[in-house]
Amino acid sequence: MGMTISLRAARRHANLKRPDASLVGATRRSALDEFVGIAGGPTPDVHPGGDAIVLERLTKTYPDGTHAVRRLSLRVAAGECFGILGPNGAGKSTTIGMLGTLVKPTGGRAYVAGFDVVAEPVEVRRRIGFAMQQVGVDEFATASELIVLQGRLQGLAKRDARTRASLLLEVMDLDQVAGSRLGTMSGGTRRRVDLAASMVHLPPVLCLDEPTEGLDPRSRAGIWDALDRLRRELGVTVVLSTHFMEEGDRLCDRIAIIDHGAIVVQGAPAALKARVGADATLEDVYLHYTGRGLEATTPVAA
Amino acid sequence: MSTPGHALLLAQRALIQFPRNPILLGFSLMPVLIMYLVFGGLFEGVAQLPGFPTENYFEYLAPTAILLATVPGIGNAGVALASDFQNGYFHKLLTAPVSIGAVMLGRLLGDCVRLAVIAGLVLILAVALGARVETGVPGAVLMIAMGTALGIVTFGALSANLAVRTRDAAAVQAVQPMAFLLIFLTSAYQTTDQINSGVLRTIIDLNPAERVMRPMRELMLSGYDWGEIAIGFGVIAALGLIALPLTVRNYRSVYS
Repeated sequence: MGMTISLRAARRHANLKRPDASLVGATRRSALDEFVGIAGGPTPDVHPGGDAIVLERLTKTYPDGTHAVRRLSLRVAAGECFGILGPNGAGKSTTIGMLGTLVKPTGGRAYVAGFDVVAEPVEVRRRIGFAMQQVGVDEFATASELIVLQGRLQGLAKRDARTRASLLLEVMDLDQVAGSRLGTMSGGTRRRVDLAASMVHLPPVLCLDEPTEGLDPRSRAGIWDALDRLRRELGVTVVLSTHFMEEGDRLCDRIAIIDHGAIVVQGAPAALKARVGADATLEDVYLHYTGRGLEATTPVAA
Repeated sequence: MSTPGHALLLAQRALIQFPRNPILLGFSLMPVLIMYLVFGGLFEGVAQLPGFPTENYFEYLAPTAILLATVPGIGNAGVALASDFQNGYFHKLLTAPVSIGAVMLGRLLGDCVRLAVIAGLVLILAVALGARVETGVPGAVLMIAMGTALGIVTFGALSANLAVRTRDAAAVQAVQPMAFLLIFLTSAYQTTDQINSGVLRTIIDLNPAERVMRPMRELMLSGYDWGEIAIGFGVIAALGLIALPLTVRNYRSVYS
């Protein structure tokens, strides 16, 4: 009898913990509608020539002599989603770090939303949302406080920052933990909070370094959905690095595979796949261009 | 939003953190109060020596206790900054249009408020033990301000610089006991006339902390000695002029 009661109780608990998936989806969508509505339309085109990001022979050599990025040149159009794929140590994070003004280039130039990352870093930071590979959160803050603070630092009024934080928490399926301290959360949950904080000021450009690393498929799908909507409805430009081929395939208009700090190949996922073989997947493309013997490969433009 | 605006927002963040970290609050308050009570009890007899400026040793010891709260205590700002480096939050803050100065200043301001509260509690305890602040509340505020300012330009700056150089909270914490040396090598427990060693007297005379301790003690025991107060703030300003460029240079390395 006792066992029956405890099983029932456990089931009831499970039901409480897992609300109807379609309801959750609807709530999320409605919060996203409201969040997107705050912008009132596409983000203003601040990119001369229509390119949100322009890299011209961008180079980074660290003081220890490591050539992390070598004369990287590329253009990302406004509203485009551009993926950077490559093995560990290929220079993905350094490239994204330079776009986010956290890493100083040692050569070449980079423009984000029309501003030079070296000469006008503050202007760049006003226009980007940046999520780093290493999720940086204040462990004593609650999820809500962290997003509000990031919004306030971006110049939002307190009330506006609170409203946006609350909507983003719903969008990211975090409303249940809004008041919980980040120190008590799992790595995946912290990553979602960090992503929400990156979006709070509705930036025209999002730089995301492995944004869905460590997330479960449901959370990942939610983030893809949010990124899709931000791009489609607000014209937000997204540059992301990822190890997930599915993510690159699903989200990115174009992809660059980089290795040893240089672009090995770039183009639309479909075009890249067609280049490798009739039934090739993006993973095949990745392996083809980053496999053995690649060292001898000369960078190829799409 | 300007650097001061950002710094205030970040100071608020630090102030929200403190009550959520009772260990930090407890351990920055209890040792100071215990030391105050223990040393006050141990050396009470010193106040009976001829020429000692007060009959109540707790009065004499109050400025020492304030410095014991503020100088080592401000080192926590460096520990917190190092933690922010370690977990990546420092860089997250810099992805917003926030200057490094604002991040650092915000942290220091938050800690200053915490330390000012602790120093205030020390003075309340002193009054409860029969001590009297000769210059009243304004003098008490000035004492706390001097103690906190000395903390910022000495161990505040040192710990903030160590935070950025080592990015290791444990390494920053390891230098905190050095702060006690800075205070002990002053007239913290007895007047310099009562110290026999000439070498020690010279060291105390040369110690910048002594130049701050003296006006603080005057505020506690006698009144406003504006000459000493000016020297105290002059020493703080001079230390600040050394610490600030060094700190700015070190924090530039944040952008690798």
